[in-house]
Amino acid sequence: MTPTLNEYLFISGLLFAIGLGGVIIRRNIIVIFMCLEMMLAAASLTLVAFSRFNTVDGLPDYDGQVVVFFIITVAAAEVAVGLAIIVSLYRARQTINTDELTSLKG
Amino acid sequence: MLFALIIIPLLAAVAILFGSPARLTALGASLTNILLAAAAVAFPVDVSLPILTDLGIHISLGLEGMNSIMLILSVIVTLTAIYSGNCPEGREKLWFSSILFISTGAIGAFLSTDIFFFYAFHELALIPTFLMIGILGRGDRKEAAWKITIYLALGSIVLLAGLLLATAHLDSFAFSDLKAIPAEHQNHVALLLIIGFGTLVSLFPFHSWAAPAYASAPVPVAMLHAGVLKKFGLYGLLRIGMVVAPEGMAYWLPWICVLLLGNIIWVGLVTLNQKRLDLMLGNSSVMHMGYIFLAIAALSANPDNSIAQPGAILLMFAHGISIALLFSLTSVIERKTGTLEIARLGGLAKTAPALAFLFGLAGMASIGLPGLANFAGEVMVFFAGFADWSPADGMGWVQVTTIIALWGVVLSAVYMLRAFRNTFQGPLVTSTQYAKDIHLDEKVPAYILAGTLLIIGIYPNLLLNLLK
Amino acid sequence: METLPWFLLLLPLASAVIIQLALKYSATASSMLSTLSVVVTFIISCFLIGSTAEGYQPWISIGGLDLGIGYKLDQLATGMMIVVTGIGMLVHLFSLGYMKDDKAKARYFAGLSLFMFSMTGIVLASNFIMMFIFWELVGLSSYLLIGHWYQKNSAADAAKKAFLTNRIGDFGMMIGILMLWGVMGTVVFADMNVGHFSGLCTCLTGAIILLIFCGAVGKSAQLPLHVWLPDAMEGPTPVSALIHAATMVAAGVYMMARVFLSLGITPENMEIIGNAPDVIAWVGGITSLVAALMATQQDDIKKILAYSTLSQLGYMVMAVGLIAPEAGMFHLYTHAWFKGLLFLGSGAVIFSCHHEQNIWKMGGLFKKMPITSITFLIGTAALTAVPFTSGFYSKEGILHAAEHAHNQPLFWLAVCVAALTTFYMFRLFFVAFLGQARDHGAEKAKEVPLIMWLPLAALAVMAFVSPWLSQSILPIAQSWDLNLHVMPPMNTAFFASIGAFTVGIAAAFVLYFGKDKDPVNIPLFRNKFYCDEFYARLIKYFQDALAAIIHFFDEFLIAGMIVGGLSRSATGIGNMFRRYAQSGNLNSYSFLMAAGVLLVIYFTVFY
Repeated sequence: MTPTLNEYLFISGLLFAIGLGGVIIRRNIIVIFMCLEMMLAAASLTLVAFSRFNTVDGLPDYDGQVVVFFIITVAAAEVAVGLAIIVSLYRARQTINTDELTSLKG
Repeated sequence: MLFALIIIPLLAAVAILFGSPARLTALGASLTNILLAAAAVAFPVDVSLPILTDLGIHISLGLEGMNSIMLILSVIVTLTAIYSGNCPEGREKLWFSSILFISTGAIGAFLSTDIFFFYAFHELALIPTFLMIGILGRGDRKEAAWKITIYLALGSIVLLAGLLLATAHLDSFAFSDLKAIPAEHQNHVALLLIIGFGTLVSLFPFHSWAAPAYASAPVPVAMLHAGVLKKFGLYGLLRIGMVVAPEGMAYWLPWICVLLLGNIIWVGLVTLNQKRLDLMLGNSSVMHMGYIFLAIAALSANPDNSIAQPGAILLMFAHGISIALLFSLTSVIERKTGTLEIARLGGLAKTAPALAFLFGLAGMASIGLPGLANFAGEVMVFFAGFADWSPADGMGWVQVTTIIALWGVVLSAVYMLRAFRNTFQGPLVTSTQYAKDIHLDEKVPAYILAGTLLIIGIYPNLLLNLLK
Repeated sequence: METLPWFLLLLPLASAVIIQLALKYSATASSMLSTLSVVVTFIISCFLIGSTAEGYQPWISIGGLDLGIGYKLDQLATGMMIVVTGIGMLVHLFSLGYMKDDKAKARYFAGLSLFMFSMTGIVLASNFIMMFIFWELVGLSSYLLIGHWYQKNSAADAAKKAFLTNRIGDFGMMIGILMLWGVMGTVVFADMNVGHFSGLCTCLTGAIILLIFCGAVGKSAQLPLHVWLPDAMEGPTPVSALIHAATMVAAGVYMMARVFLSLGITPENMEIIGNAPDVIAWVGGITSLVAALMATQQDDIKKILAYSTLSQLGYMVMAVGLIAPEAGMFHLYTHAWFKGLLFLGSGAVIFSCHHEQNIWKMGGLFKKMPITSITFLIGTAALTAVPFTSGFYSKEGILHAAEHAHNQPLFWLAVCVAALTTFYMFRLFFVAFLGQARDHGAEKAKEVPLIMWLPLAALAVMAFVSPWLSQSILPIAQSWDLNLHVMPPMNTAFFASIGAFTVGIAAAFVLYFGKDKDPVNIPLFRNKFYCDEFYARLIKYFQDALAAIIHFFDEFLIAGMIVGGLSRSATGIGNMFRRYAQSGNLNSYSFLMAAGVLLVIYFTVFY
């Protein structure tokens, strides 16, 4: 039994919601960062799913899968930059708790 | 030619910012503009350049009588404003380029025959006004700048809403397409226009920005704003308000009457109680707006009133010239004596007779002495008030308002003569004992303005013929 | 002939302008130019006697409004021109001597020329707006000349007071002109017609006449706007003679005569304007009585003459109100000459006594200044209506008018005033000219130079012959009949007049002959019925206090509460937004963003 498109989309939606919830609720920037990655993964899963179920001449539409590769690459770069920022932030402020990082308030 | 009238001061202002000799460039530009304006009034050619064709917005300029007079007013006051005041050391760029920017905006607004640019040019002129008050003003300049910004911005927003509502019904921005909009919408549009334009003209009770702003503004800005830019609102009411919403204006007639009496009587009494010359003049300028609103009231009561509109235009011109002259001379008084507190002045006519003569002439003009331009305008406005009177039916709103407004002529004489008596007459005091008389350089703008007042006062038809 | 009247108007104007622009620093040239211009205008006026002409120049013509500057010559105007330019000429000559050492002589003569221009404009005016224009301009020249010695506080205040009081009168006059225009449809005198009044409520027509009369109340200093005229004596004395005795203050009477003439209001149709004539007559009558009472207790020679002028103007106004404008204008004409004479005479006295004006510090001047004294006595005789002087005939005319109108109260009031006039004038004469010199100024007094006594002599002659020169020189309309006989009929008016004179001179002789200080002291009269104090309080506690209260409300209610409140609430809301929404917390920002995205999706997809 192969899963249907709806099941893929449901899973990816769930993944996205968990990620968003984590971004909103969690206070640790590392965790927030991981939740962001989860949201990206959710988006990638959707793309792959659509690619799988949207056939062109009997073959999957590879456009979607190409985009996923882009996302993975960009995400890798983003992780590198983001972690570097977090490290330097920790060095500067001795904390990565978002409740204590509110110097942008008006 | 009409484009040149706008572009020359604009280019000159930019040139000044890039380092061309400030005063000289400004003088050159304003002199050229006077000549151009004379030529343009003599041979009017309308121009139009499409900008946003999808929305039907054109940058179109034209001369049609009413705005010829406003154009003449603008160029004369611009020239004299450049001559007046005392530019602080090292701020010439800001000073002279701001004057030219304001002038560009004013001339552009009066020349535009397209609602969009009519509005936009006026806003353009306001920005340097705020800047000059905030940066180079005197006294409580921050507060004054904030006040004028908030008031005029709010007024402009209300005005914009009114104009957009009107254009939505007209489906066009062009002045040539202006006509009465459907009657059921006229009341709203008229109300928005009265409040919007009214705030820009310091209609009671939206007037409290004017006097402090003029008192703390650098003199050329006070001259240009009180003399020229403020007339934008009145011009707009006459040119747009009366055309698109005549019935709406008639609907609000009682309110216009009450508010204009607020300007004349209420602000007149406020003026009476001022202790400083500049604040007094600022308030008196607010007060005199009431008379022009009286003409608008007469026109609202009956759009066929053939005296009200020329009267209003003539009075706007006269008031613009006389208030510019008064502000210019006030700055001279401050420079010679170091104070504008009326109580600390006295006997200045002894040490500065030419200054006394000019100030007396300007003061007499502003209180409506015959032979000077303001009288001609005021008389026309008063006659406009009684033009539609049918004696058998008793007095209407406009007639009663005219009669009460006439008392303002007495009030203005009281405060002006008091100020003149306490400043120039009586024995000399410390501040005036060694004061020097007005310098030749300062006389130039004064004589230009005083001469204009005299010429138009003696023969008002000279201007009125432009309206025919 | 058509252009000649324009010269009357333009010559003095040209003189004023040239002095102001070019001759400011050359006092002699200014005075010569000014005097020359008035001599020429006098000659032109003489040429124009009896001619009728009209001229017109547009001034404001647009839409339904056509206002112009024009002249209308008729006997009323040409006669008045003779008065204005004749006395103007003599006053200019007198001023050459009187103002010889003044530092601002050029300004003085420029002011006089400006006045001649403005007054000519009033006289020649062919329409009401032109009259109003020049009406205000005489106010200006009067302001400038009263304030000639502006460094004196009293002079500066007096000038201001004169201008403002006149403004109040002009306020009413302008309303009247506007309403008259509304009814008549024209401001041109020649086109007016009383027919337009028919069918209108007499309350309206009467109000129009009374509002126009307000202008005369201000300019001719009638009650309750009389307070400026005595103060106006702060100006140089020749100015007082010309402007504040002979011509400008009489303009109110001239204007009312012009209005009645143009509208064609006669005793037969006077009910069309309701009770307005009665009001006018009573205003004039009460003014003349009150002013005469005030004059009896003044010590300043010019103040006495000023109150006397008030009183005589009240006479003229009363005559106008009795619809006898010919009597009023005739009295205006004779009064102008002899009151000019009295003022110039007082000027000569003041000049000789080193600017002493208090009559109790004079005395014994008759021996030292015989010419001045004799001419002054002639002027006094004319003013007090001694038979065969000009004042006798004109006062007779007014008494006769009151009698003719069957207005017994006003008739007897006028007789009382005549008695009082004789009393205070001879009080002045006995104290100042007879007896002993009471101060060193008066001791050293000597006769004035020729240029000053010549005008006095000329005016003294006019005080006798003015009624008899020619009927056509009198400033009256041809339609009015003025009965002038060398020997008036022996009726009540005649005997009342003679009786009043006798009573007055007897009382003055008994009380004041040979006295060194005032034996009578009536504070009420001396303090001018406390009018000035009352007005000062009115201005201070009503106008200025009201202005202060309004200013307070303007500043604190409108600017502070409403506008300030609005701007404060705007800042308050902004602050709240800043504090709660812009927390700087990453999580809440992301929540807001997510919520925003969801909303956008919801609206784009499902809405």
